[in-house]
Amino acid sequence: MKWVLPLTVMTVAAWPGNAEEVTFYKQIAPIIYRSCAPCHRPGEAGPFSLLSYEDVKKHATQIAAVTKRRYMPPWLPEPGHGNFQDEQRLSDGQIRTIELWAQEGAREGNPADAAPAPEFTPGWQLGTPDLVLQAQRPFPLRADGPDEYWNFVLPLKLAGTRWVKAIEIRPGNARAVHHANVLIDRSRSARSEEKTPGAGFPGMDLTIEADTFDPDSHFLFWKPGGIPWEEPDGMAWRADSSTDLVLNLHMQPTGKPEMVQPTVGLYFTDRPGTKLPMLVQLEHDGALDIPAGARNFAVSDDFTVPMDMDVLAVYPHAHYLGHLLEGYATLPDGSREWLIRIPDWDVNWQAVYRYTAPVFLPKGSVVSMRFHYDNSDANPRNPNHPAKRVRGGNQATDEMGHLWLQVLPRGAGDRRMELQAALMLHRLDKYPGDFSAHFNLGALELARGNAADATAHLRAAVEARPEQAVALNTLGAALLTAGNAGDATGMFERALRANPQYTNARYNLANALAERQQWEQAATQFRQVLNESPEDAGAREHMGEVLRLWGNDMAAAGRLEDAAAHYRESLRFREDDAALHSDLGTVLAKQGRFREAVPEFETAVRLDPHLETAKHNLQAARARLEQNGERGAIR
Amino acid sequence: MRGRRFLLLWAAATAGFGAASGTVDLDGKTADPFAVAAKVRVFVFVRTDCPISNRYAPELKRLSDEFAARGAVFSIVYADPSETSRNIRHHMEEYAFPGAAIRDPAHVLVRRAKATITPEAAVFSGSGQLLYHGRIDNRYIEVGKSMPSPTRHDLEDAIAAALDGRPQPEASAPAVGCYLADVE
Repeated sequence: MKWVLPLTVMTVAAWPGNAEEVTFYKQIAPIIYRSCAPCHRPGEAGPFSLLSYEDVKKHATQIAAVTKRRYMPPWLPEPGHGNFQDEQRLSDGQIRTIELWAQEGAREGNPADAAPAPEFTPGWQLGTPDLVLQAQRPFPLRADGPDEYWNFVLPLKLAGTRWVKAIEIRPGNARAVHHANVLIDRSRSARSEEKTPGAGFPGMDLTIEADTFDPDSHFLFWKPGGIPWEEPDGMAWRADSSTDLVLNLHMQPTGKPEMVQPTVGLYFTDRPGTKLPMLVQLEHDGALDIPAGARNFAVSDDFTVPMDMDVLAVYPHAHYLGHLLEGYATLPDGSREWLIRIPDWDVNWQAVYRYTAPVFLPKGSVVSMRFHYDNSDANPRNPNHPAKRVRGGNQATDEMGHLWLQVLPRGAGDRRMELQAALMLHRLDKYPGDFSAHFNLGALELARGNAADATAHLRAAVEARPEQAVALNTLGAALLTAGNAGDATGMFERALRANPQYTNARYNLANALAERQQWEQAATQFRQVLNESPEDAGAREHMGEVLRLWGNDMAAAGRLEDAAAHYRESLRFREDDAALHSDLGTVLAKQGRFREAVPEFETAVRLDPHLETAKHNLQAARARLEQNGERGAIR
Repeated sequence: MRGRRFLLLWAAATAGFGAASGTVDLDGKTADPFAVAAKVRVFVFVRTDCPISNRYAPELKRLSDEFAARGAVFSIVYADPSETSRNIRHHMEEYAFPGAAIRDPAHVLVRRAKATITPEAAVFSGSGQLLYHGRIDNRYIEVGKSMPSPTRHDLEDAIAAALDGRPQPEASAPAVGCYLADVE
């Protein structure tokens, strides 16, 4: 469509600036410098620079056309439906001024009228990061073809736990990258998607699996021209030595082959996070089954909030068929609070929107998502021409409908589990028998110490996905907590059949076997755990204990040589255990091996001078050595 | 508005009166693209700073490869008088545009091809008759709104018809991209 600029616009007499000549320096430069130049400058996402009169004149008609359509600057939310920070929206007056200027031949005007050209900081906007992570391999983007979605796994490799107050994402090739999302992967679950380590993997969205309830409650997002977000005091997030970051990148071919190698900068703080926000997701992807040709297919979700809370930010997400996206809350008094409304969704300009002031939702408010999809041929963005049936999924040719809210529950203490339980029960309403709802509820009940409730949910989860190793392992843990070590053992064994490299399950199996006093099998499993994870302090301690108890059993059964062997191996894990040295001395002495027994008693007494048994046995052993006439040998 | 129209007329008059073609090669020498014998001539108007014409580079290469053997000659036309030949050479190479680059600083070829947008294509017969001008395909609906892949290949159809001596297909929708008027 060509933009024909109607001459009638010029006859608007009421336009206050009509009498005044519109020039670049007087009226246009301030608009361009504020609203366009942050992206339209070298090294940034804008495809050309808009930093001078010459730059802007060469695109005058274009700028008038795209601002009039409100394609530029990109800002999707409809005004009056949520107040957001850093709103990138021109006023009607600004748009008319630009149009007039272009129509009148893009006059330069007097440079003396000009506001100073903006000065930008090249590179990192928040200063030198404390830690820089670069994608292990660049992604080769083809010159042509559809958009690409790629996930890079970035291991943090920290020496210890740090608190992160900000991250800055540098896309590596700003003109090819449309947006980026970072997910925190504490259990390194995304790595398993990679064909080879460091290779990354495709996909528009991804799911992070975790062993524990440790929700990551921050939007870590990059869009062109976006200002890096610094968390307010108390909102820092935790990064552990074993944490991976997963960078999800949306790239668009530019016409020539491109290499895209993004970097992420982390900024640490000494002040740990004290506030406990959470991300709440509304969705009903299960209902996304859009017939070919449907012009207005609606998907909804409604969640009743179980506590007073503040909404800090919102992130609506759909793919190429999304059209009208609405999110609002109905408060207990019946009034409607708009959270966001996007009348013409464009996945290319998706963004996280942070409220200028938190939106308070009293307990009992209903948060509603109403997303509408156009799967007709009239929707040019439709990935299928001719249109075909589209269902929910992670690929660009699938569809999605998510309304994410970052919320801060009010009230004392950590209320995230309570909120998570409500969310998962809501999910179970939408998807009876759902794996993740049952799994999460089971894990929550287990964390709360309700082993019986946990077991019921986890059994349902395992029924939904019988080969899911994490669920099998967690069910085992619930059974073990409930005192059912026998069934627990079976679950851990199933988890290990599903994933033989699952060290956590093997550790649990070893503990369950130990609980059942099956020392030999327990020791075998702990040995394997320590092969896989040699520095695991818990495994080392338990291994030492199992060997000691195994030694005790052998000693009681009169199998003194075996007992001594197990005690000796146990000492490798607890060499400062005075009682263990003493016990080893005792079984050696009982076998008449006084020469070996004496140093064990000596060590025991050195480590613990009050250990009476050891002192007594040491004297007795020395005496027996003398009786045996080996005094000379000792000297 | 009136002033601009006057300028256009003036430029046209100059071109008609002065140089035979108004177009130059990258060394600044007058180069008449119609002087070279060709069965069909294809001109594609681009700018170095137009992301949409850049994105079409692979498609233009494909079309040139498809039709070169049958006598279609591609030229890439840069109409921004302030652009340097050095930048143009680099741009041609970086995006692997097909054919030769020509400069049209006075927009003589722009007018002859009735082009207003980059990227816009014009197909001329061997005798210099304008057979087709307009979009390359229907991928872009407007700036920022595009299909994942086109369903209508207007330029490809136009070149094929010209080579076969068939009448041109129905006129298609206007091209989408950047404005040549901004670089007069």
